[in-house]
Amino acid sequence: MKSGPSENKQVGAVLVVGGGIGGVQAALDLAESGYYVYLVEKSPAIGGVMAQLDKTFPTNDCSMCILSPKLVECGRHLNIELITNAELKEVSGEPGQFKVKILTKSRYIDTQKCTGCGECVQVCPVEVDSEFDVGLTKRKAIFIPYPQAVPSIFTVDKKERPPCVRTCPAHVNVQGYIALTSKGKYKEALELVKENLPLPGVLGRICPHPCESKCNRAPLDEPLAIASIKRFIADQAKDELLPQVKTERKDERVAIVGSGPAGLTAAYQLAKEGYGVTVFEALPVVGGMLYVGIPEYRLPKGVLEQEVEAIKHMGIEIKTNTPIGKDLTLDTLFTQGYKAMFIAVGAHKSLELGIPGEHAAGVVQGVAFLREMNLGKEVRLGRKVAIIGGGNVAIDAARSALRLGAQKVFILYRRSRMEMPASDEEIEAALTEGVEIQYLVAPTEVLVKEVKDGKVVGIRCIQMELGAPDATGRRRPIPIPGSEFDIEADMIIPAIGQAPDLSFLEGSGVTLSRRGLIDVNPITLATSRPGVFAGGDAQTGPGIAIEAVAAGNRAAVSIIRYLKGEDLREGREIKEEEIRPLGLSELPVGEPRKPRVQMPTIKPERRQNSFDEVELGFTEETALQEAKRCLNCGICSECLQCVAACKAEAIDHEMQDKMIEIKVGAVIVAGGYELFDPSVQYELGYTRSPNVVTSLEFERILSASGPFQGTLLRPSDLTPPQKMAFIQCVGSRDAQNPYCSSVCCTYAIKEAIIAKEHSTVPLDVTIFFMDMRTYGKDFDRYYDRAKEESQVKFVRAKVHDIEEKDGTGDLVVKFATEDGGIRAEDFNLVVLSVGFQASPGMVDLAKKLGVQLNPYGFCQTGSFSPVETSKPGIFVCGAFSGPKDIPETVMQASGAAGSASALLAPARKTLVKEKVYPPEKDVAGEEPRIGIFVCHCGINIGGVVNVPEVREYAATLPNVVFTDANLYTCSQDTQEKIKAMIEEHNLNRVIVASCSPRTHEPLFQETIKEAGLNRYLFEMTNIRDQCSWVHMHEPEKATEKAKDLVRMAVAKARLIEPLRQLSLSINHSALVIGGGISGMVSALTLAEQGFKVHLVERNSELGGIAGRIHYTLEGGNVQAYLAGLIEKVTNHDLIEVYTNAYIVDASGYVGNFTTELMRYRGPYVERIEHGVVIIATGGQEYRPDEYLYGRDPRVLTALELEEEIAKGNPDITDCNNLVMIQCVGSRHDQRPYCSKVCCSQAIKNALKLKEIKPEMEIYILYRDMRTYGFKEDYYQEARRRGVIFLRYDLDKKPEVRAVRENGQYLLKVKVYDPVIGEQVLINADILALGVATIPSAEIRELAQFYKVPLNEDGFFVEAHVKLRPVDFATEGAFVCGLAHAPKSIEESIAQAKAAASRATTILVKDTITAEGIVCSVNEDICSGCGICEVLCPYLAIAVDKTERVAKVNEALCKGCGTCCAACPSGAAQQRGFRRDQISSMISAALGV
Amino acid sequence: MDKKIKLAIGLGATCAGCDIAILDLNEKILDLASLADIVFWPTAMDFKLSELEKIEKNEIDISLYHGTVRTSEHEHIVHLLRERSKVIIAFGSCSCFGGIPGLCNLTSKEEIFETAYKETPSTVNPEFITPKTKVSQDGHDLTLPELYNDGRALSQIADVDYYLPGCPPAVELIERLIPIISNFLETGELPPKGTVIASDKTLCDECPLTKENKMVSRIFRPHEIIPDPKRCLLEQGILCMGPATRGGCGSRCINVGMPCRGCMGPTAEVRDQGAKMVSAIASILGAENEKDLSEDDVEKLMDQIKDPVGTFYRFSLPVALVNKRIKEGS
Amino acid sequence: MDGFEPKIIGFCCNWCAYAGADLAGIGRIQYPPNLRMIRVMCSGTIEPVYVLEAFQKGADGVFIGGCHPGDCHYQAGNYKTMRKVILMKRLLSQLGISPKRLRLEWVSAAEGQRFAQVVTDFIAEVKELGPNPLNQEVAQHG
Repeated sequence: MKSGPSENKQVGAVLVVGGGIGGVQAALDLAESGYYVYLVEKSPAIGGVMAQLDKTFPTNDCSMCILSPKLVECGRHLNIELITNAELKEVSGEPGQFKVKILTKSRYIDTQKCTGCGECVQVCPVEVDSEFDVGLTKRKAIFIPYPQAVPSIFTVDKKERPPCVRTCPAHVNVQGYIALTSKGKYKEALELVKENLPLPGVLGRICPHPCESKCNRAPLDEPLAIASIKRFIADQAKDELLPQVKTERKDERVAIVGSGPAGLTAAYQLAKEGYGVTVFEALPVVGGMLYVGIPEYRLPKGVLEQEVEAIKHMGIEIKTNTPIGKDLTLDTLFTQGYKAMFIAVGAHKSLELGIPGEHAAGVVQGVAFLREMNLGKEVRLGRKVAIIGGGNVAIDAARSALRLGAQKVFILYRRSRMEMPASDEEIEAALTEGVEIQYLVAPTEVLVKEVKDGKVVGIRCIQMELGAPDATGRRRPIPIPGSEFDIEADMIIPAIGQAPDLSFLEGSGVTLSRRGLIDVNPITLATSRPGVFAGGDAQTGPGIAIEAVAAGNRAAVSIIRYLKGEDLREGREIKEEEIRPLGLSELPVGEPRKPRVQMPTIKPERRQNSFDEVELGFTEETALQEAKRCLNCGICSECLQCVAACKAEAIDHEMQDKMIEIKVGAVIVAGGYELFDPSVQYELGYTRSPNVVTSLEFERILSASGPFQGTLLRPSDLTPPQKMAFIQCVGSRDAQNPYCSSVCCTYAIKEAIIAKEHSTVPLDVTIFFMDMRTYGKDFDRYYDRAKEESQVKFVRAKVHDIEEKDGTGDLVVKFATEDGGIRAEDFNLVVLSVGFQASPGMVDLAKKLGVQLNPYGFCQTGSFSPVETSKPGIFVCGAFSGPKDIPETVMQASGAAGSASALLAPARKTLVKEKVYPPEKDVAGEEPRIGIFVCHCGINIGGVVNVPEVREYAATLPNVVFTDANLYTCSQDTQEKIKAMIEEHNLNRVIVASCSPRTHEPLFQETIKEAGLNRYLFEMTNIRDQCSWVHMHEPEKATEKAKDLVRMAVAKARLIEPLRQLSLSINHSALVIGGGISGMVSALTLAEQGFKVHLVERNSELGGIAGRIHYTLEGGNVQAYLAGLIEKVTNHDLIEVYTNAYIVDASGYVGNFTTELMRYRGPYVERIEHGVVIIATGGQEYRPDEYLYGRDPRVLTALELEEEIAKGNPDITDCNNLVMIQCVGSRHDQRPYCSKVCCSQAIKNALKLKEIKPEMEIYILYRDMRTYGFKEDYYQEARRRGVIFLRYDLDKKPEVRAVRENGQYLLKVKVYDPVIGEQVLINADILALGVATIPSAEIRELAQFYKVPLNEDGFFVEAHVKLRPVDFATEGAFVCGLAHAPKSIEESIAQAKAAASRATTILVKDTITAEGIVCSVNEDICSGCGICEVLCPYLAIAVDKTERVAKVNEALCKGCGTCCAACPSGAAQQRGFRRDQISSMISAALGV
Repeated sequence: MDKKIKLAIGLGATCAGCDIAILDLNEKILDLASLADIVFWPTAMDFKLSELEKIEKNEIDISLYHGTVRTSEHEHIVHLLRERSKVIIAFGSCSCFGGIPGLCNLTSKEEIFETAYKETPSTVNPEFITPKTKVSQDGHDLTLPELYNDGRALSQIADVDYYLPGCPPAVELIERLIPIISNFLETGELPPKGTVIASDKTLCDECPLTKENKMVSRIFRPHEIIPDPKRCLLEQGILCMGPATRGGCGSRCINVGMPCRGCMGPTAEVRDQGAKMVSAIASILGAENEKDLSEDDVEKLMDQIKDPVGTFYRFSLPVALVNKRIKEGS
Repeated sequence: MDGFEPKIIGFCCNWCAYAGADLAGIGRIQYPPNLRMIRVMCSGTIEPVYVLEAFQKGADGVFIGGCHPGDCHYQAGNYKTMRKVILMKRLLSQLGISPKRLRLEWVSAAEGQRFAQVVTDFIAEVKELGPNPLNQEVAQHG
């Protein structure tokens, strides 16, 4: 190991990156070994891919069932700090002392306050694809990745604010109200709109909606009809919602001049904050331009009046016919006590054309025309009306003129249609109604009849053409000389623009700009006179209403700050944000095209002479349809429904990301992998048919918690498939990803078996594969079972094309068979067994860490350093270093933990936390005094169950002396309260009626322990998961049930008693049996951590089977490594090596084993006391009795071949024809397992020989080439070098004969070649047999000594195939290397380190504390019948032969209670679940 | 000794084996006789019920009652004894737990009459005449006690002070009464109420056979196997109730190669002897290769237990949690 | 039988069936409120005596939930449960109680839907069977 900084400076903490099963295991091992662990996970919860799996192979265990307890343990561990939703940013320093920067992304949730109740999810209107269900279901924007997630804390998924919101001048929360609308929550939607816009019905009708122009939906089909949706909710919910004043009324009064959109909005916002507001309006009506500028057919007066009424309802006074100016000046207003003012008088003055005849009779200014009309005055109209201008006023005037009876109305506009400022809808409507528009025409003179009334008869115009763009960006119109022409008209309405009339401000101290507008600070809208603010058209010139609204909002904020004496500017900088539209590829996958809902209108013929509203508005159906088109670009819509729903007040939408810095001694990277995305392989149909799914999607389809609750249905039509196929090697073993993904064969088999189990109809399953790589422990049996029991069909073929059959959703799979035939077959559903690839995030991280990657982007490791990266102090485990399954990952995780632990041994226990508790109160003999805490869980319980009633009822139950009801019983303040109540009421039993004890019991037990009570004096009853949540529509029955459950808990609580937890002392030395690589690595890993190790080896030399191996497939020098290892082991002070030694007896249990061994076959027995034992007895080569082995010297085993090659034996290295036969002694009836290493070994030898003699003919006769992972590269290399691979089936095994020809005995190998369909005869100079690996001979007696089981093949059986791969069920005993199963050196080393790491978790402890819930035996009753003894899988209970009673070893007892149930004398009882306790609950449940 | 106690021995539905067991005290019966005056014991001497009725309240010191309470007369006797005795001891399995006659709870009175007075091949009873509590014939009224629908243990009729189980009780246990009586005579002291005069442990405690491994993969009925005489019978697949049965009997059945049938009842920790044994047997039967057994395989295993109630509740059905056959749906 | 609401006593193992019930809760999967559940660590700890006791005290049905075979947190407790339940059913039927009143189901920690389904089915089945006949017996004898 590279020398690091001086040892005492090492940091006793480790960073683990990645919260999948690998990271979790490494974290747990390290935390249990005396280190403080930071576990960083990029997603909001730990669990990784394993959490998504339905079952695990080859046992078909429920993945979640086995994973969840580990996650909970990890989440609760005092010395593991989970840093979720976080990214590693930087690592600096050196081994032993790293500095790490981590960016924790905001969850927008206070993790301390969130109770995980989920109320927020119910109200969140935004649905996006669920990552957990791989897009097969939706989740909300506020979410927990999956129900069992750890930590059980919600996260708000928020991107930058969506373009619609950012484009809206008033920043109305568009996505929010649309999301709420899509859920039918119109009232809430309207409420949200009204946050920024008090005139939703008005703006919903007349706003030219700049927001829609930036809608991300536009590139997909059409933008959302945002304004129309707003209009719909305004119309829908207007009666339900009156704005409310938020706070207490304040004394200050504000004057607002002008009741247009700016003035009204400011008034509204100020009133909402409690300020008194008076609005002064010059006109006789309220609404400004909204009233007098917009015709009724666009905005019915009633709509405006109603919204004005709603605003007035807040106590706003509006004085109409009250112009500010001569009589009432700003000064007067100040003297009248108004503290601030907002001037928003609009722009009601028309701009003049500046042409002759402009003042003739029959020329009416557009604004004036509309005003007169809107005020209900009689307007004299001509027959032929010419309107000049291209804005909305022009269009309004034109359409109004038609309605008022004009026979012909035409618009003259000096630019082209493209430059026309009026909105498209308006122009279209005008054209529909019969308005004529002449483009590129400018008036030059109003033609007047030369009589005394000077009446208009026409207009002279000139043709224009477009020149260079002007300041507004539009092209400047240039008159074409000599193109004048006259048009006949008896009325002319110029509508070329407006300006404010600000004459009243003269002498007021409010200055005007050069453009004649009010001069303000653009951020604060403050004018030159303190206390006076201005906005809207009067300040900006004519604009759209929503801009005026924005100004009203802005002014209100300024005025409030002004009145409070605060800084007007702080934090209000106007940021110029660029709104980047989403690219097509960024749009949600599979989002179908849906056209925008068209706004229904009244027929054009009905519009003549009628001012009825033209647009009819959306119906509920169309509004919902339209709202559901929203892509939720920002994900969280900030509708704030969650904030209102969260009773714990945990949600804060303003929360920010945080960078944290920590110090660690080592880093373990467990970053996992990414699944291959099959959409890039177009021919496989993944993007084209919903019925082509990936294996992970299929995993979710199979899962009981998945989209179809575990019923096998296909996505397109939710029918059960009858015929389905798996396609192997998708994204593996191809040009893109040449390596093998290692796990797909077995997971496909698993999914096939489970699919058959879950199917409601007879299901036919075919797996298309190249080589079946079921190389792991017991995997071949699994394969056989799939074939024989489950009738899964296996077809060796390469699939090249999958097409959907039209209309049926069925799929045609086209494939090439081994013999070159092309076939096609129909299936209802196809699963693509997608491979693993390096995740880009991890590649980035590796670059940051300076960790070397292999060519495929996975972490580079060495043959002898499987858990080390190229950077000292940084370790790796799991799929980040290459595709692998769960047990390999777990082994590596423990292995990496072991390496880190060895590196940091001097700093062990320097940073770990330990909790100190007050002394336990003795409650023996006390009458039970029960305290009950009933939880509302926000409204999760309280919304259905009548909590006060339950509490009242609880108080009537016997021995109950205190009851309480809490909003959240799990919150920190309630914990304090529980402790206080225990003290105050002298409680000696505590009951919490809330949620699941599975998640919360430890928390409350901890609390009562902190109050000095034994933690077992606690009972919990689940009135949420079992009452309120599952009987939501029956509140009375749910309440009754809750009472029953409380009564049951009380019945039990009266009988519970403190339980003691046994402490066992630990002997801190280890025994390692077996001196091969595995045993030595284990021993060394332990010794380096300072533990005494006894290493026992049967032979006279250390080294084991590795002594015969010379090089690895990857080129590692085994002998050099081995020599180094032996030297380290023999020279290590703490390792005592016993060679020629045999174990003759063993006894004891975890922490306290005694083993007897004998050396030199002599009479002396040595006794070794040790705390743990690691069995690493290795394996050996099977000696075949077939293929002439042992009878012909030219027939060798693969290892023998290797030894000869290493020796340079010319008979071998110089031969011409060399044949290898694989699977000799493996994968058949007697030994139905794969020996895993033989394929690689054959490739290794073949490549070596080709290197020595390239022209040598080498034949490899194989059944499946199992060069998994990156070993595939070497297989391809061997093919390139001309090694000939011939596949054979078990029923057509090769035949080997020695035939006498020409005076020589020739070795002849005959084999059937399925590719050409013929027998092939090969003359072999040398025949090498890839023989089975079998366990070593001593394994059976060791199994008996240490009471650990063997499987049918004679290898040791680990405690759990997936998650405890090196542990035995017997605590304190571990296994590694070939004794466990055949495996490579690299895997053996990882496993050996893992065993050492697991052993360390015991050796570091001074004592082991047993569970309190264990079996106890009443020895006065027990008669030693022995029934209990045979039932205990942990060997924790046994009959003492001398006392003739059963004795429990509490250290080993896991407390399942199976023995107690079976005990026929009643002597055995399960503590915490005694028969009288259960019986009392039964009685209580039944009310007897 | 001058002073003697007054002892009564009453009986219900009994085979009188309990009486024989008392007589089996042999010469020790003289010890008993020296301590007690027997004031009622119809089996041994010519006592009439009317004599018992004449005894005053609390006049009897100790009563033994054996047999199941099956008829109105049995119940009457129990009430008489209880009223007239200071101490009443349930004597024998029938009295303690309902005993073998208690298995009548699996049928009804009507079914029993049907079988006994009609269906048995040897019966000729065309008019199906069955016992009646009162029959008038030739002007005479004949009465019979009423046969109850079920059989009950003594404790279900009256308050019981002590229990002395066994079918019949072992002589060694009966002998234990003698020092109790003499102590009572001398000091007036009695053991605590509810005491069971037997072992606290189960039969296995005193069973002489060797126990090795309790996993059972096949059940043998006694006639199907010649057991290894040294090894635990249960381990050899013979349903032995010993593990669930109170000891104290001296392993009488085991000693003659028969499995325990449970006559001593359960230990003080067990509420329902049969259910406990069901739990034990089902736990160990097939445990060896349990992971390979399908539900059908388990059904086949359990088929080997021919009569679960009769096997596990041979002596204790009336005191079981569910102590009679119910007719579902009737 | 109209208006008959059976009382069901349930025993569920902590690791699978109880977790399945929790998941039914989290998923807001509705089922009838007739079940009163007692949590035990392993279904292997459930004794026949509890079943009899429940019936004797008036339960109309007894539900037992454990881990699927192979999934037992304690390796093999559930196999014992299966054997106990099969023998118990025989005992019940000999005692005249319909063995359908005792239901054993395997429910994994991921099967919230299944939990709700089997409980719903069982309640429906017990409704069909009618009240516990022992209750009627008690009534007859006063």
